[in-house]
Amino acid sequence: MQESRVYLKEMATGQLVEASLLDEITDRHLAMWIDTWQPVMEERCRGRKPGDRPEDHHWDWKLKADGWRPLLGYHSFAITCNGELQGLMLACDFKSARIPAQFGKPIVHVEFLATAPWNRPEFQTPKRYSGAGTVMVAAAVELSWQLGYRGRIGLHSLGDAEEFYRDKCGMTELGNDAAYQGLMYYEMTEKKAEYFRQTH
Amino acid sequence: MEDNEKRTMTLNLTPREMAVLEELAAKKDLSKTGVMRLALRLLQAVDAKIRMGQKMMFEDEKTKEKSEMVLI
Repeated sequence: MQESRVYLKEMATGQLVEASLLDEITDRHLAMWIDTWQPVMEERCRGRKPGDRPEDHHWDWKLKADGWRPLLGYHSFAITCNGELQGLMLACDFKSARIPAQFGKPIVHVEFLATAPWNRPEFQTPKRYSGAGTVMVAAAVELSWQLGYRGRIGLHSLGDAEEFYRDKCGMTELGNDAAYQGLMYYEMTEKKAEYFRQTH
Repeated sequence: MEDNEKRTMTLNLTPREMAVLEELAAKKDLSKTGVMRLALRLLQAVDAKIRMGQKMMFEDEKTKEKSEMVLI
């Protein structure tokens, strides 16, 4: 397991703080998810209609881990800061690009990406840290480079995150995908990935 | 063994197999080694899905006709 130093913005102070990006979701991270993240999510969902709950409230990272861990083509990431879990991501590396200029070439596909509840404005104001999502997208781009995919990545976005991927990450919107519960599909070209790497 | 430790193997391919490998490497913009690694990861993932009782289907985007790929 590799650990990289990354930075998140502490919203209460406006200061950048050191955080760790780990290229594996370990049992310790899953325990942190169960003990700290999941209770906040459950509390948020209590009494709310399904449409008013966070879109990822049903993601069970422990259950998912059992499926991806034996497989070579799946890559998991965790961000920790000040002893707390701040973000989780699962990506796979054997899907194909759809943008005509890179059609059929392999991409890193982000399967699941979630930031901790306390880093979301709908849970608390100000949120605790900002930047976990950007760090994860940068990690996916870096993984793509390491695999020889030149930074190409793709993902299906939940509705609330579309603006982030389109406007902040510069990904190309390619329409709703009926094969993925109608979620909007986004892809990052090699050129955009290079720009993203230089600026993040 | 750590993931960053690598072992070397020799792969003997027929001319046709090598031609396909080279063609795929060009199409996928990967090295030949990259194609073989990708094939391994993909086969493992597909095999895992099939062992879980799932099917691998292909759908024609225009006609919506579906066909199942059966793996051994």
